[in-house]
Amino acid sequence: MRPLLHCAFCIIWLNVALAKTTVIDDGGTLPYNASLALRWQQPSPRSPDANRMVGTLTLRVRLNVSPWLRRSGRIYLALPAQQPGTLSARWSTQGRLLAGQVSAGGRALVYAGPLTTPFIEDTVQLTLDVDGRRMQQAYQVNFRFEMDEE
Amino acid sequence: MLRPAFLALLAAFSAPLAAFTVNIAAGTPRMVFLQVGLGSFNGLYDNGGTPLNNTTINKVSVTVPAAAVGNGTAQAMTTDSAQAHSFWDNYVFCNPPQELYIGGFYRATNNGTGTVLVSATVPTALVDGAGDTLSFGKVSWTSRGNGDGNIAQPFPAGTFNAGTVQTIGTIGQNQWAESCWTFSYKNDSVTAAGTYTGRVLYTLTAP
Repeated sequence: MRPLLHCAFCIIWLNVALAKTTVIDDGGTLPYNASLALRWQQPSPRSPDANRMVGTLTLRVRLNVSPWLRRSGRIYLALPAQQPGTLSARWSTQGRLLAGQVSAGGRALVYAGPLTTPFIEDTVQLTLDVDGRRMQQAYQVNFRFEMDEE
Repeated sequence: MLRPAFLALLAAFSAPLAAFTVNIAAGTPRMVFLQVGLGSFNGLYDNGGTPLNNTTINKVSVTVPAAAVGNGTAQAMTTDSAQAHSFWDNYVFCNPPQELYIGGFYRATNNGTGTVLVSATVPTALVDGAGDTLSFGKVSWTSRGNGDGNIAQPFPAGTFNAGTVQTIGTIGQNQWAESCWTFSYKNDSVTAAGTYTGRVLYTLTAP
């Protein structure tokens, strides 16, 4: 029994080591601290979406991936769980990054492959979708780009 | 053997973290809109349109043939409003001149399932030039909408309560509500010949 347990531990340890996640410096993104006025989504008389508010803004994303230059990695856009709660984001890109969507508490893949330049840049159309019944005050929504090294 | 790896991971997460933020706020947290008869809209609401003010006061009327006055047969009334389309999505919801459009919406960011009331301030009577009167209680309406089938209407059928402020419908929070009304005159009494007029004021009240 002992050898089997030992091997199982090794496998787990290897997985942990491979799943190293690092937050990417996106300090070159503009606007970096954007303001967004949300509007009501379609007010269907009998629609479950009647309480949703949405807003879209354009971001010039600039990710500093120089620490991983000439290596391969997977980049995710993460939306940590935060107020106002039921929050989601979807985005389109110019092609350098992948389009996608994410709900609060999750993350979505935006890049996978070799990193051949110190910076990855793209223009992103980001749309936020929230429950309007929670919008009695303003909120700061935090995002982060994460690197999973391969 | 574990300790160096653990320290390396810790260092990766404890470095200064850059992450962009978006400050969100409700652009229009509270909105109300009420339209009775002809209205105006900048575009359509489901495409980002916004309400415009329309000061038109529409008329609903009927001319009772002399031979039919007071015979107890209700007389269908028609409106001078040509509003057939809903400003929500441009759907042809009402059939004027038989039907009068009534609709609106109520938007609020509070966490509730509240509704707002729409009321009618009803004069005691319609009056002609000679001072003769007809009770507003002789005017009733039915309610429907194209494509609605038999579902309950937000502005249901009713009869005016003369000289009162009566609730004539509700609008749920964050919903668009609309109905089409067909009015009729009860025609159950003989009155002096004349043109009887009166004005009902419709009000949407939100907290």
